[in-house]
Amino acid sequence: MTAVDAPAVEDLLAVTEDVWLALVGDDDPLLPRAVPPGSPFDAAAWSSVTTISGGWQGAVTVELDEALARRLTTQMLDLPADEAPSDSDVADAVGELVNMVGGNVKSLMPGPSVLSLPAVAAGRAAFASDTALACRLDLVWRDAPLRISVHIPQEGPR
Amino acid sequence: MRAMIIDDSRAMRSILRRIVTGLDFETSEAEHGQAALDQLHAGVVPDVCLVDWNMPVMDGYTFITEVRANPEWRDITLMMVTTESEQRQIVRALAAGAHEYVIKPFTADAIVDKLSLLGLLPEESAVTA
Amino acid sequence: MTTSTTFASVSALVRRETSMVYDEGKEYLVEARLNPLAAARGLGLEEYVARLALDAEERRKVIDALTINETSWFRDHTPYQAFTEAMVPALLERRAAARRLRIWSAACSSGQEAYSIAMLLDQHLPAGWSYEIVATDISTAMLDRVRAGRYSQVEVNRGLPATSLVRYFTREGRDWEIAERLRQRVTVKHLNLAAPYAGLGTFDVVWLRNVLIYFDATTKADILRRMLPMVADDGYLLLGSSETTLDMPADLAAAWQREQIGRVPTYRRAPVRTFLSGPTPPTGTTSPSLTSPSLTSTGA
Repeated sequence: MTAVDAPAVEDLLAVTEDVWLALVGDDDPLLPRAVPPGSPFDAAAWSSVTTISGGWQGAVTVELDEALARRLTTQMLDLPADEAPSDSDVADAVGELVNMVGGNVKSLMPGPSVLSLPAVAAGRAAFASDTALACRLDLVWRDAPLRISVHIPQEGPR
Repeated sequence: MRAMIIDDSRAMRSILRRIVTGLDFETSEAEHGQAALDQLHAGVVPDVCLVDWNMPVMDGYTFITEVRANPEWRDITLMMVTTESEQRQIVRALAAGAHEYVIKPFTADAIVDKLSLLGLLPEESAVTA
Repeated sequence: MTTSTTFASVSALVRRETSMVYDEGKEYLVEARLNPLAAARGLGLEEYVARLALDAEERRKVIDALTINETSWFRDHTPYQAFTEAMVPALLERRAAARRLRIWSAACSSGQEAYSIAMLLDQHLPAGWSYEIVATDISTAMLDRVRAGRYSQVEVNRGLPATSLVRYFTREGRDWEIAERLRQRVTVKHLNLAAPYAGLGTFDVVWLRNVLIYFDATTKADILRRMLPMVADDGYLLLGSSETTLDMPADLAAAWQREQIGRVPTYRRAPVRTFLSGPTPPTGTTSPSLTSPSLTSTGA
């Protein structure tokens, strides 16, 4: 098959790093995290997903550790360090994060496609049973984990 | 100068607000295109709109088309700020009447540079941009 | 941490090979740019620097890493405005016979200046005209980037009008690639500004922006002196907004005539020789000695 099925993991990483740099600067870089293949994300407190449909079909999911999500939100909203962001603030920030990663993933794949509005949930992401993991990125930011994954429709029964 | 920030994410509006208020802009905000249109109809007419593309109720592309359809709003400068980054999307937005286009993620410099290109910054800030 | 000996040795290396000056206080910059190189070799910074004397390839990487200038599309705007509104129209009259313009982007870095100029000429030159932009830099890594003409999304997001982005670039994966017809107009050459400018020819406009600040006063004067015959009699030299010829030795300051275009100072060759030797000699044959102090004072 010659068509591009999934984004390359290095492209997903570069996109994510660009997003991170824009949101939090370069003081605390994202670092790689070694996670055995197949293991579910072990810390998810927040997850957000956006789907891409059209010339390419897929879903981009971000799962974040609770502390990481709150720190990111604090930084995006420029809240004072002693002010805790509300759950609604966190949901908003995490949604915008997956929107940026998802939009850039969409631009790397065959199009034209449409990006959905983000769906955010407290807790681990649930992946549809008719999709397959195509690309996964495990990272650490300030000692807290996050995972970005791309799922594509599964091609028929195995 | 007045900027209207149109984005469904509070966090993104907050980031953009900090950048443009740092350039001495007054700001207003809307969480989707329809809310922004309502403000325009109510007389809140900015010099520039920073417009996200993917939003509920009315997306940024439709908003731009609506603004361009009303001659009373022809002085408003329209700048897309969106994660939509395919070449054809940029072409579409420009053809619909957007003056500039910033791709998310962006750094503050990118917004400053574009506002400067659009002649919306005083000379001094434009030069140091 | 960079010890003072390590810094001094790097600073001496860069000065020897490029004439660029890395004064004390730039330790942070040396450290930030060399740490990745040292890490790539599995060495600490001091250990890495100590081995440079024996390794020409690593020395080249160090020079590359330390000579990259900050750049952006249409940097500062106003010089580009002066270029299209005043310089190009004037040159269109002057070059009506040859219908060709030659531009030098000196210290071109990643090529954003050269391609900014190319985009403007593509829009402003009438049909039947051609142009060449010579882009030179001391960093071979940067020259490779100019040749490739590929820029990241972060780079095209800054200062490049969206209309130009969609008109002159094509998305290639995560990057944006400049149009082939513009890339063909840009000739890339390796050049140390402190060394001779052989075989470049003369130019209608020389962009020498934001690079003189890296040289000491003597080298700066030497560069500006050797730049005189590189600029056509009716051509222009552009410097960075914080740079000027006015603080140069008197004869050199006099040899460059400052001509204001709007808010942009341009520098043009003073017409000293016209009343010394009659008609202006053809471009490229001017002897540098004509601008020497003795002749200038004779003229005065």
